[in-house]
Amino acid sequence: MVSVELREILKILGDFRLEIKSLKAKEGEFLTLLGPSGCGKTTTLRIIAGFEKPDRGEVLFDGRVMNEIPPYGRNIGMVFQDYALFPHMSVFKNIAFGLELRKLPRGEIEKRVLRILKLVGLEGLENRYPEQLSGGQQQRVALARALVIEPEVLLLDEPLSNLDAKIRERLRGEIKRIQKELSITTIYVTHDQEEAMAISDRIAVMKDGTIEQVGKPLEIYYNPKTEFVARFLGLSNILELEAENGKVHLGKLCFNVGRDGKVKIFFRPESVYITEGDFAEIVGHELLPGRIRLRLSIEGNEIIAERFLEELPFKIEDMPKSVGVLIKSYTIL
Amino acid sequence: MRTKLILSFPITFLIIFFYLPIISIIHEGLWDNGLTLKYLKAVLSNSYHRGIIFFTIGQALASTLLTLALGLPGAYIFAKYDFPGKSFVKAILTVPFVMPSIMVALGFILLFGKQGFFTQLIGRDLGILYSWKAILIAHAFYNFPVVVRMVSSLWQRINPHYEEVAMSLGARGFTLFRKVTLPMLLPGIFASSMLTFIFCFLSFSIPLILGGYRYATIEVDIFTSIMTLLDFKIGSALAIIQLTLSFVFMYIYIKSLDMYAKAEEQRVFRRPQKLTLRELIGLKGLLIGIYSVIVFIFIISPLLAVLYDSLIFQGRFSLEWYRRVFSAEYNPIFGANTLIAIKNSLLFGFSAVLLSTTVALIIAYALHRWQFKGKNIFEALVMLPLGSSAITLGLGYIRTFHRPPLELLGTWYIIVFAHTIIAYPFVLRAISAVLKKIKPNLKEAALSLGAKEWQAFIKVELPLALGGIIVGAIFAFAMSIAELGATYMLYQPEYTTITIAVYRFLSARQWGSASALSVILMIVSAVSFMIIERVGEEIW
Ligand SMILES: Nc1ncnc2c1ncn2[C@@H]1O[C@H](COP(=O)(O)OP(=O)(O)OP(=O)(O)O)[C@@H](O)[C@H]1O
Ligand SMILES: [Mg+2]
Repeated sequence: MVSVELREILKILGDFRLEIKSLKAKEGEFLTLLGPSGCGKTTTLRIIAGFEKPDRGEVLFDGRVMNEIPPYGRNIGMVFQDYALFPHMSVFKNIAFGLELRKLPRGEIEKRVLRILKLVGLEGLENRYPEQLSGGQQQRVALARALVIEPEVLLLDEPLSNLDAKIRERLRGEIKRIQKELSITTIYVTHDQEEAMAISDRIAVMKDGTIEQVGKPLEIYYNPKTEFVARFLGLSNILELEAENGKVHLGKLCFNVGRDGKVKIFFRPESVYITEGDFAEIVGHELLPGRIRLRLSIEGNEIIAERFLEELPFKIEDMPKSVGVLIKSYTIL
Repeated sequence: MRTKLILSFPITFLIIFFYLPIISIIHEGLWDNGLTLKYLKAVLSNSYHRGIIFFTIGQALASTLLTLALGLPGAYIFAKYDFPGKSFVKAILTVPFVMPSIMVALGFILLFGKQGFFTQLIGRDLGILYSWKAILIAHAFYNFPVVVRMVSSLWQRINPHYEEVAMSLGARGFTLFRKVTLPMLLPGIFASSMLTFIFCFLSFSIPLILGGYRYATIEVDIFTSIMTLLDFKIGSALAIIQLTLSFVFMYIYIKSLDMYAKAEEQRVFRRPQKLTLRELIGLKGLLIGIYSVIVFIFIISPLLAVLYDSLIFQGRFSLEWYRRVFSAEYNPIFGANTLIAIKNSLLFGFSAVLLSTTVALIIAYALHRWQFKGKNIFEALVMLPLGSSAITLGLGYIRTFHRPPLELLGTWYIIVFAHTIIAYPFVLRAISAVLKKIKPNLKEAALSLGAKEWQAFIKVELPLALGGIIVGAIFAFAMSIAELGATYMLYQPEYTTITIAVYRFLSARQWGSASALSVILMIVSAVSFMIIERVGEEIW
């Protein structure tokens, strides 16, 4: 088990600037880098892998500086965003590649390759060549190739992006299981926030080459530090209001903000409870499986609420013009 | 970092065997106890030399136009249609890449000469031989496959949506072609034209043998100035003029190649349309058939003429020419026998392959995979030899390597070095083309799986590049085997090659012996051709 740490990293690529003050994945931790396209996720992974040399700063594995260690000396496994399968090798050969370099006996290699093939659901395809596989199958070979060497650090660059929802969820579970079983410190890149929430021990949200916030999934979700993080992780309500005496009043709602002047109050739609009352006007609604999403207007401020149908104090057939609202938890941005 | 030290090998090689000779020529032509333009002026004020310079450029232009006229219809057919025998015609088009020009020149003599096949067929001498016409036709023979290759490959990548959009907006027929298709094809047409132009500009064997005494190129002029008149000053001045022009042309070519490469990156690949039986027996099929036959006759007839001639002795089928070629008594011209010439050709060929492939592989790898200071300069320096000519190189070698510490004149390996310099730019191109296609992250994937740099190279990149390396090696081999000018200037009698021997027979007007020897050359080239076909790498 090793920990992976980035310290004071700076990397300039053209006019893109990646700057990471500090980021640490603890031993055996599953850390996800989450962020929009082009924010520097792949670059960060490549620095950890040793394919890019940072202009400044250090990459540490277990506290040892790795900057000068070449990729092959780092005991990593990596799944590339575009798979990078060797086109001149069969599926079997691709997966066996790392094991052969480690000089394992033939029988052992065969055993391990077949086992991992089964795990990723590709039994029987070992003699195919990459070009004979679908995008999703290729992705699974790439995953198998990285997992089979049982690396100490696993770097995954959107390894599931090309799969359909079902395999995606199954493989997500498998990755997590193998990772836990072997306690592989894993850094996972995705821009799918649901996937990130489901699989991660902690999430680092990135924006424009910097890390906005690192934390446990729920912490990031309910207590984002910035508007960017709040908006990136799903639907959010952000109210910009004027506070007096440490409080903000809106309709019959009262927020304790602990300061005066302009404030931004943040809460998720599921934190908005619907009660009997009439200060929030219903301006629209949308039905979801088993749930309802309501757009409400309170003194000209629009908020979104999301509730299970049976929690509503009314029937949707006779929806009232306005309702009461209760907000159970909120954060000040 | 240490791996990059390996770059010092090709760099040193190029400095000694390319830049030093070139500098010595510049020195020779521009220096007389101080800088002087005397010799340049002497050349430019002499109407004979001036005429040759104009003719060189003029024939290159005309040859390029003829090449385009012959190549563009082929490009169209190949990009658009699938028809029976397509792969065969395609294979035939590879032939000029490996056929020595001296043999093609001989074929032309046999076809268009006074007793030539076509002359007999038509009943009168068309006056093609020993005139500019023969030069143009032979140049077109060599270059139209390049046009077909480059333009059709681009044509296939034009996204059909462009044309469809234009059609939906009302464009059709020739307007559609002129406004939409042609502009997108231009990079391919331009790049292949530039390549043809440079080839014709620097052409040596063809004008030497087919041009007669009236039509010479700068290359031939330098050759005669030095070898016949022993005037190194004028020869160098001519070489300087030629170098200057060809570097300009090469610069334009490289720029056009960039444009071409960018256009070719478009990954839309249009499947050629399979012709139905009805279309095949219709007008389309007829035109395709005619074109294929022309290609076939054009490429194959010089070869057949040589083969036929070698088998006819005093009007009858006989192997007499072969017997004579291999027996000592009929071999007064060159100071070695045919077996030695074959041995020499193979020795030089294989050595040049080894050396040029090594040099080109290292350079190509550095260009595509490494970042280092001065890479731009490095790139320019390694590309320059493409713009130099064999005769200029030979001249430079004579001036540079005739005294210690580099007294290499008269050795066999100086010939190999010259062949290597001539051939490696083409090997570099072949290898670069495959390396460009190998994604850099394959190597990274190998590194992430525990492979060291060299292991990743050997196990992943080398096997993927192998096709291109083989094709490059065969180019080098074919060029070395066919090389006449530089070899002629540098060789000793015991280092006679087949090509030199053929040239000697030709000068002595012994067509039969020349043909028999050429057939041997043809067999060697045919083997090269078959290997290229086997490898199946897209050289075209
Ligand atoms: N070699 C390079 N030269 C210049 N800019 C580069 C280079 N490589 C990457 N960039 C830029 O760096 C930024 C970050 O790239 P990176 O690949 O890390 O993004 P990413 O977060 O992985 O995006 P995606 O989700 O689309 O994969 C991008 O804006 C990209 O254009
Ligand atoms: Mg990425």
